[in-house]
Amino acid sequence: MMVRIDLWWLPRAFVLGLLAFVIFGPLTNLVLWTVAEKWYFPHMLPLEYGVSFWQRVFSPRGNAMESLGTSVLIATLTVIASLALAIPAGYALSRLKLPFRGLILLAFLIPQAFPNLPVYVNIARFFYQIGLNGTIPGVVMVHVTHGLVFAVWIATAAFSAVEIDLEDAARSIGAGPIQAFRDVTLPLAAPGLMASAIFVFLESLDEFTGSYFVGAPDVTTLPLLLYTAGAGGNYQIASITALLLLVPSIGFMLVVERFLRADVLSKVGH
Amino acid sequence: MQKRLLAILLVLPALTMIVLFFIVPLFASIVGAFEIGDTFGLGNFTKSFELYSKDMIFSLVIVGISAAFIGLFSVAIGGYLILGENPRAVALLRWLYRWPMFIPFIVVGQVMRTFLAKNGLMNNIFVSLGLLTPLQTVGFLDWRGIVIAFVWKQTPFVTLLVAGAMASLDRSTIEAARNLGASRLRILIEIVLPQIAGTLLVGLILSFVTMMSVLSVPLMINAQSPTMLTADIAFRINAHGDYGVANALGMISLLLTAGVALIYLRQTVRERS
Amino acid sequence: MKRLLQASLILGLAATPAAAADLTVLTAGDQNMVDYVNDYLGPLFEKENPGMKVRVVGTGPGDAGSQKIVERFDAQAKANTEKWDADVAVIHEKFAGPLVKDGYLESYRSKIASGAMVTSEKAKMALGSDVDGYVMPMFSSQTAIAYNPSVIPNPPKSYEELVAWAKQNPKQFGYNGIKGGASGVSFVMGWIYAFGDGDANKLMNGPFDEAETTKWDKAFAGLKDFTTNAVLTPGNAGTLDMLSRGEIAMGPVWVDMFYSWKADGKLPPEMKLFLPAPGMPGQPMHYVIPAKSPNTELAEKFVALATSPKVQADGIVKRFNWYPGIDAKFVQPELDKASWDKLFVDISPDDLASKGKPFPIAPYNKAILEAYEKNVAN
Repeated sequence: MMVRIDLWWLPRAFVLGLLAFVIFGPLTNLVLWTVAEKWYFPHMLPLEYGVSFWQRVFSPRGNAMESLGTSVLIATLTVIASLALAIPAGYALSRLKLPFRGLILLAFLIPQAFPNLPVYVNIARFFYQIGLNGTIPGVVMVHVTHGLVFAVWIATAAFSAVEIDLEDAARSIGAGPIQAFRDVTLPLAAPGLMASAIFVFLESLDEFTGSYFVGAPDVTTLPLLLYTAGAGGNYQIASITALLLLVPSIGFMLVVERFLRADVLSKVGH
Repeated sequence: MQKRLLAILLVLPALTMIVLFFIVPLFASIVGAFEIGDTFGLGNFTKSFELYSKDMIFSLVIVGISAAFIGLFSVAIGGYLILGENPRAVALLRWLYRWPMFIPFIVVGQVMRTFLAKNGLMNNIFVSLGLLTPLQTVGFLDWRGIVIAFVWKQTPFVTLLVAGAMASLDRSTIEAARNLGASRLRILIEIVLPQIAGTLLVGLILSFVTMMSVLSVPLMINAQSPTMLTADIAFRINAHGDYGVANALGMISLLLTAGVALIYLRQTVRERS
Repeated sequence: MKRLLQASLILGLAATPAAAADLTVLTAGDQNMVDYVNDYLGPLFEKENPGMKVRVVGTGPGDAGSQKIVERFDAQAKANTEKWDADVAVIHEKFAGPLVKDGYLESYRSKIASGAMVTSEKAKMALGSDVDGYVMPMFSSQTAIAYNPSVIPNPPKSYEELVAWAKQNPKQFGYNGIKGGASGVSFVMGWIYAFGDGDANKLMNGPFDEAETTKWDKAFAGLKDFTTNAVLTPGNAGTLDMLSRGEIAMGPVWVDMFYSWKADGKLPPEMKLFLPAPGMPGQPMHYVIPAKSPNTELAEKFVALATSPKVQADGIVKRFNWYPGIDAKFVQPELDKASWDKLFVDISPDDLASKGKPFPIAPYNKAILEAYEKNVAN
């Protein structure tokens, strides 16, 4: 028995090692750039290491931390709003009879599918007219329209995956429709919904074009900084900013996972 | 009837949001696609096809190949997560696979560019390990680079969805098949996959759409022509201020993705009936 | 959940800063443009105008960055916004003409002291459009060919020699086509100046004549052939990136980007530049003030400071090694000889004067790009 396990570790270690290389190879590159002061051919690794670019990112006028805070706030609000809109919509789309169901699902896809640069100009114009430009709610709205496809499509799939019998069973033992939804359907669909929350969060956290047209200059998010640096080949600054963005992303995922596990566990034995 | 009304009421807030804040503003762009000077016509579309038909096919092929790989890898990873027997290996894999998801596309472009290049970090590592000689190194900064970047970034996204769906499956059928001596690969393909096919498809379509609209990756990795449609759109706008052709290309891109989305919609309709 | 939503909404609204005492600068271009305002110009202006706060928004490098500024103005114009949310913008030359034509800009050069120190023709005409009075050049940039002298001790001196060199050294020259930024575009324009059958001066100064656009066939055929021996790089930064990793030995770059890559330790310090005959285009970045800026007077003050000889000397020349926007004779006295000479280490002032060309006027520009797309990229 012992021997068999050991043998299995060979292919396992090989595949996992390969995967680790594929995933962490590029990431190592990113991390190296954050501390590279000098790095060019023919040197395989940076010639000089240092933190001068960190100082530049965190210079008092760079507003990195403030932008990060704004980014997180916007992303959180976007997630809340998206889920609040998507859970009822997803439920209806998966469970109830709806006219033009396909068309409605397609409608949510459009903000992702149409290259949005030309459209944002129109949105900005509209927002200027109604005074939403340069406000956090304005940016949140743009991010919600963009993230809603993840929320709605995934919610629809998640609710479809929950056996309708379970809901009916709850109803038959006297639960009201809302109670049945809250206690049975929602917890079972929760993994999918939480996954969609993560995507919406990430979408919002990384979004540049809409944030620029609707938010700047009053609302500055971290991607505004990242975009200029990234597009201009400013590897150090872009890498540091990306590393900063990792903190809330991973934090959010961990919170969601904890919340999720606790939630699912609490339902056990009910 | 009442149920129908309820359904509409439930969808309405989300739909209003999309219609008001995206489809109405989009309308001006769609009109713009047909505008040539002061008259209307199909000129922008004929020009789009004349100049960029190769790029349309290229975009579809690249994104299609990427989606295929993403599907394959996500099912493999998700499958191992649920069927793997060594808890340590499963835990390791669970910890490992998600990282790329958190890197914004523009940084993925940068990271892949400096990693996959001919003298990039990857080849440098291979050379210093003695796996390759400097003369044998090949750069991947062409269509392969785009595919690699897309697969790298999007696989965790689909895997997360697929793994979630797999985790909420009823384990009893899997256990039963296992007790009957079915191999894990067979269980994955014959029992697990059919049950999560819907979720996989949703994930792949969302990935497809996302990849079709990413600008930074093709711009930073692939310099050759043909290139992706998003790069052409940006070029029409930035170099020529030509919103007509840009909007026409946007429409074409929208139609291409809508075509793919229809596959999914038809399938769900079949399931529901 | 609901309370959380309310709380964060209130927090969000409260966190939106009041725009009262702020001077907002939008800038196209690289990270270093944002840093320039944040680290140098902003604090300087705030010291002279206590209580003021300068904030800067970068809109991204290249034409795309300037285009985003134009679109922002468009949106506000179409929405009939009374006061716009930008006071000063830094844009590429190409976008000055259209902005003036749309009536978005204020004519302010005569109102500020440094206005008289601008002598360059490029401040009057931008790619064939009259922009006189509406723009102040921030700095002049130039494209040139970067190379590593330890690999190429004797670089070619002209486009002809470059073609011969590229033939002998296949895949050692790289440029970024026309879709990835203006350094590639500039190389192509220089190519047409060198090999086009028409009159290069007509392309640069106008007037536009349809017949002229038919005279490039031979040049494009040559360029297509040349490109098979060359490497196409992804973008302005992409060329520098490949130079940095030694994948190409030579390529067209923006001089200002070249120096900041060097300063950031991403290029070997021995790298140099040359300008091939008959020359390559360059362009200034312009300061413009929107006519509906909420703080027009302050904006003028800001640009006046930014284009004063002292700031041009300390900020533009000394800090970045960029060519000043105002006439160099006003800037030179502010600098020690070493800093001044550093500006011309690679490219001599004579070379710059004779081989630093403008871009073709807008209609030719467009025609050349479209012809390239049809003839070379296909």
